[in-house]
Amino acid sequence: MTVAEDISADPAEPAHRRARVWPVRRMLLATLTTGIVILCVVPFLLVFAISFGRKIDGAAWVWDFTLENYQRFFVGILWPEEVTFLYLQQLGYSFYFAVIASLLAVATALPFTLLLTRLKRSAQAIWLVFIMSSLSLSEVFIVMGWDILLSNNSGLPKLFKETGLTQWLKDVGWFQQLRDWGLANPRNVKFKTSDFATILTMSYLVWPYAVILLYPALSRLDPSLNEAARTMGAGRWTVTRTVTLPSIRLPLFGTTLLLFVFLLGTYVSVTVFAAPNKHTTAVAIYANIRGANLNAPFGATQAIMLLLSASVCLYLGHLFNKRADAR
Amino acid sequence: MNAHFRGKQDLRPAVQGLSRGELKGHIMPKLNRRTLLKSGVAGLAASTLATPLIAQSRSVRIGSYGGYFENSFKEHVYPEFTKATGIEVESITQPNSSDWLVTLQQAMAAGNIPTDISLFARDTMIKASRIGDLIAPLDLAKISGAGNLDSYFVFEGNDGPQGVGAMSWFSAMVFNPNEVETPASWADFWDSSLFEASLGLGRNYNAGLLDFTAATFFDGSETMMSNDGIVAIIEKVAELKPNVALWWTAESQMEQSMKNGDVVAGMYYLDVANLMALDGFPIKPTFPKEGNLQDYGSWCLTAGSDKADEAAEFMNFSSEPSIQALMSRKIGTAPLVDKSMTDLTDDEFNFVSGAPAIKPAYEAYLDNETFIKESWDKMLAEA
Repeated sequence: MTVAEDISADPAEPAHRRARVWPVRRMLLATLTTGIVILCVVPFLLVFAISFGRKIDGAAWVWDFTLENYQRFFVGILWPEEVTFLYLQQLGYSFYFAVIASLLAVATALPFTLLLTRLKRSAQAIWLVFIMSSLSLSEVFIVMGWDILLSNNSGLPKLFKETGLTQWLKDVGWFQQLRDWGLANPRNVKFKTSDFATILTMSYLVWPYAVILLYPALSRLDPSLNEAARTMGAGRWTVTRTVTLPSIRLPLFGTTLLLFVFLLGTYVSVTVFAAPNKHTTAVAIYANIRGANLNAPFGATQAIMLLLSASVCLYLGHLFNKRADAR
Repeated sequence: MNAHFRGKQDLRPAVQGLSRGELKGHIMPKLNRRTLLKSGVAGLAASTLATPLIAQSRSVRIGSYGGYFENSFKEHVYPEFTKATGIEVESITQPNSSDWLVTLQQAMAAGNIPTDISLFARDTMIKASRIGDLIAPLDLAKISGAGNLDSYFVFEGNDGPQGVGAMSWFSAMVFNPNEVETPASWADFWDSSLFEASLGLGRNYNAGLLDFTAATFFDGSETMMSNDGIVAIIEKVAELKPNVALWWTAESQMEQSMKNGDVVAGMYYLDVANLMALDGFPIKPTFPKEGNLQDYGSWCLTAGSDKADEAAEFMNFSSEPSIQALMSRKIGTAPLVDKSMTDLTDDEFNFVSGAPAIKPAYEAYLDNETFIKESWDKMLAEA
């Protein structure tokens, strides 16, 4: 606080006083810069440097300068005899899950937040506190909860069985369809592992963020605009489409992008709920660095590639936004 | 115990720079030490006070896998060791074998020695030995008990013996007796009329499924020695995929899924499966005709540790048949000594062990790990 006071010192002050103020400001700046460099830039550079290392089979890895890890990321270890797009596929699934889950979260959080802003002030506060508090649950906790809710003996499948829904599905012949989709075994429906469970949990994970990010923009919406449109004869849907949505386009887009980037690195939900053929880059990174084969260089390479792809997405989002603004 | 340990650590730097006379003066204010000094060196060896002194000055840090496993060691094994030797044990939690190797490596690069003894599975131990400067050679002359073990369980690294077998564990076939008949062979798992979308199998390439498949349909670890053989085994495993409901990485995933009925059969640790069955959960381990996978853990001395003597005493202690039997009873691990050397009953022995035993294809896993891992991941990812 005192620093802030110093910085906003009155310009009419004598020069000698200002001379004393400057070093404080500079020192603060230098400390912050050093902090950022040590905590953000150095670890990143370390990961970058490790990504050029070399793995020794049967032992650990050594420092080196080889581009083999990057080559492996695109075409696999056996190239040129054999080509595999395994790692690109994993990156693809990182995007697949993150895109769908973030869209789903925003799409469901939007009507909720709209309704929330029309509540009484006190009711809004209670809801917001409740939503904020749910942020304190870690991913592991949430996944554990959904794991139980989707389990055969204690969750949704049990409900299906007890209510006779499973039997009904079998009777009308839809059960076979579920088996073909991998959502049932011969005994009952099953939701683990499935895209359904993975996306559900990931959306749930970021849903409170979606509400909290959308709330300020939505609560500032001017109701008179809607009312004006309604008095001019526009239907409810037309108003939403032509008045409400355009006026919150930017926060809507920003929220989706933020949640998407956040979800790119999801680990626990994917390991527990996604089938191994849909495992993402985040899971592969962990398996290389901490898992049994100690291949930190290749894990680092995958991390760099994930980061690069996320940056490209953010940049494209930025461009898209600018273009839309210009129109 | 912790406080004693710390106290001793703090005292040492102060003591080292002092002459004998100064030392006496320094320690004088401490009542128990003064009493000790008064009683003289001869008295020190004989007096009853000597026991607490040794207990204070001799300690060793031992790593084991956290959770139930480590707790059982703390409760049943370490106290026996302290009683027998006067050496206090500080238990160090390891997450597992391979992750601990990463932790150990990083700690030692930073100049720390996180434990005196680590518990490593054979493949991780060989890796640690090859990486170098992580685990120290052992003086087998001080570990006479190791003679009780089959020589296979005393690991010879590049610099001499580097690991003494601690205990062994089985990855076994398990099934839910309420849902399915006892499978007679691993080949039954390929039968979709029995196990469609119902199995829980290890997700990692070296979790054992390759070994089971090699033993069931091929020539065992022989087949694992060539790339073609590995590809053939992995193709066979791929046929199993429609029957798998869970590819587990953490032990607890499989435990939950068996309890919840999400899977009705699969592979799991023999000891935990037996304990779960005792608790009334619907799980039963069995030895199919091809057998189950037997892996084992070894005690390894951290390079640079100044507790080599204490560590040797512990390894000696844990190699005794009576202690091997104690671990079988209390922790559920299989003994590394012959059953006839122990006082285990047939029931007790069958609870923790069985036949036939399949040995993991360690050589292939180590020398060809990148190829095996990528081929395996490709199969799972359908890429």
